[in-house]
Amino acid sequence: MLVLVSTQSASERDPLADLDVTNTLLQRVATGDQRAFSDLYDLTASRMLGLVRHVLKDHSQSEEVVQEVMLEIWQTASRFDPNKGKAVTWMLTMAHRRAIDRVRSAQSSRDRDTKVGIRDLDREFDSVSESVEIRVEHDRVEKALSRLTDLQRQAVELAYYGGYSHSEVAEMLSVPIGTVKTRLRDGMIRLREEMGVAS
Amino acid sequence: MSRSGTHDPADPRRSGADDVDTDFDFDYDEFGDVATELALALPPVDPSPDLKTRLMAQVAATPQVAPLPTTALRTAPADPGPFPMTDARPASPAEERARARWFTRTSATLVAAAAAVALFFGGVVTANVLSPADDSAQQLAAIVAAPDVQTVVAPVTEGGSATLVSSESLGLSAMVFDGLPELSADQAYALWYITDGEPTPAGLFTVEANGEVVQVLDGDFQAGTIVGVTVEPSSGSPAPTTSPIVAIPTEA
Repeated sequence: MLVLVSTQSASERDPLADLDVTNTLLQRVATGDQRAFSDLYDLTASRMLGLVRHVLKDHSQSEEVVQEVMLEIWQTASRFDPNKGKAVTWMLTMAHRRAIDRVRSAQSSRDRDTKVGIRDLDREFDSVSESVEIRVEHDRVEKALSRLTDLQRQAVELAYYGGYSHSEVAEMLSVPIGTVKTRLRDGMIRLREEMGVAS
Repeated sequence: MSRSGTHDPADPRRSGADDVDTDFDFDYDEFGDVATELALALPPVDPSPDLKTRLMAQVAATPQVAPLPTTALRTAPADPGPFPMTDARPASPAEERARARWFTRTSATLVAAAAAVALFFGGVVTANVLSPADDSAQQLAAIVAAPDVQTVVAPVTEGGSATLVSSESLGLSAMVFDGLPELSADQAYALWYITDGEPTPAGLFTVEANGEVVQVLDGDFQAGTIVGVTVEPSSGSPAPTTSPIVAIPTEA
């Protein structure tokens, strides 16, 4: 069961998700503008760290990941294509992938030798199966999540917020991988409809 | 209670190194927009202040990846246009001929420079050019950080590229060259400020084999001036005696 805790009464969409300010800044960064990069960092770093730390748990490793990702954003800003999506999506996707890479390399090294990782998959599983508390700060996102079926919400939570692979989720929930994919896909489509995301 | 100790290496369902690269399959292409909303709904976490300090230091020393259409952008304006490479050195009066070229150059250069503005700047300033102890590097950093900084990239007819960074509030400009050819021992590159068609000497420099130079111009930079480079005798010249290899206008 998912417990959603709203800590922000504003029901408006996050300004970062709507405004094209990050797009403008990122395109200036692509021309070598270090001041634009500084502004872009100030605007997005706490959100990126919020996401990375949610996946990674460890604060200092999360800061390392944010630093790596931000530097990569500086280096590759010219590759951002505004026709394919928002800058903030481009940036947070990079951060999410990198955080998961970090978890996975820690998991695989744990499996190989020390059996000590950043995150204990099984402990996570136990807590998920009982209740997961996500502090969702936006009413709109909270409402949208509440419209999912419990199974869809669980799949979204594990696959996105948890960063687990489809096969891991399938193992944790003891369902076929195809079922996981269907739940996740249906859940994401439903979320898009409920949140009114312009796609 | 942990199950990790019971993982059988032969168990195909176990998570681990084998499926690290192939098994993570969240569909960012299709659901990146929704995922962004989910990410932004998480509580923000403030990074420690020194994270930004470290990062900005890295940024200052890290070249950027060139945009994908770089080749087209760089080669298009490389046509020497009104300055054919076969142009013989002016006999006399050299100064007048050279000055006439600055005028004819301007409109063509404006177009070329406008196209080149989109080019990257950071890729030119590599870490090995900018050693922290270098005065030029420090002045360049000050110009780049100025609130009214202008950055213009242009091709050099002899090869390579030139980036002009300038700040009127500081009264400073610097040229950053990449791929500039070496000259013979009795020659030097000369920098000029050209205002209202009048060239003012702004310094001489030579280039090492790597073709990379950061050169802060002598004299006071004023917005709207043109910055040009010619090849001159190593002792310098009071006015340009050869065709400019690059001329970059600035916005007033």
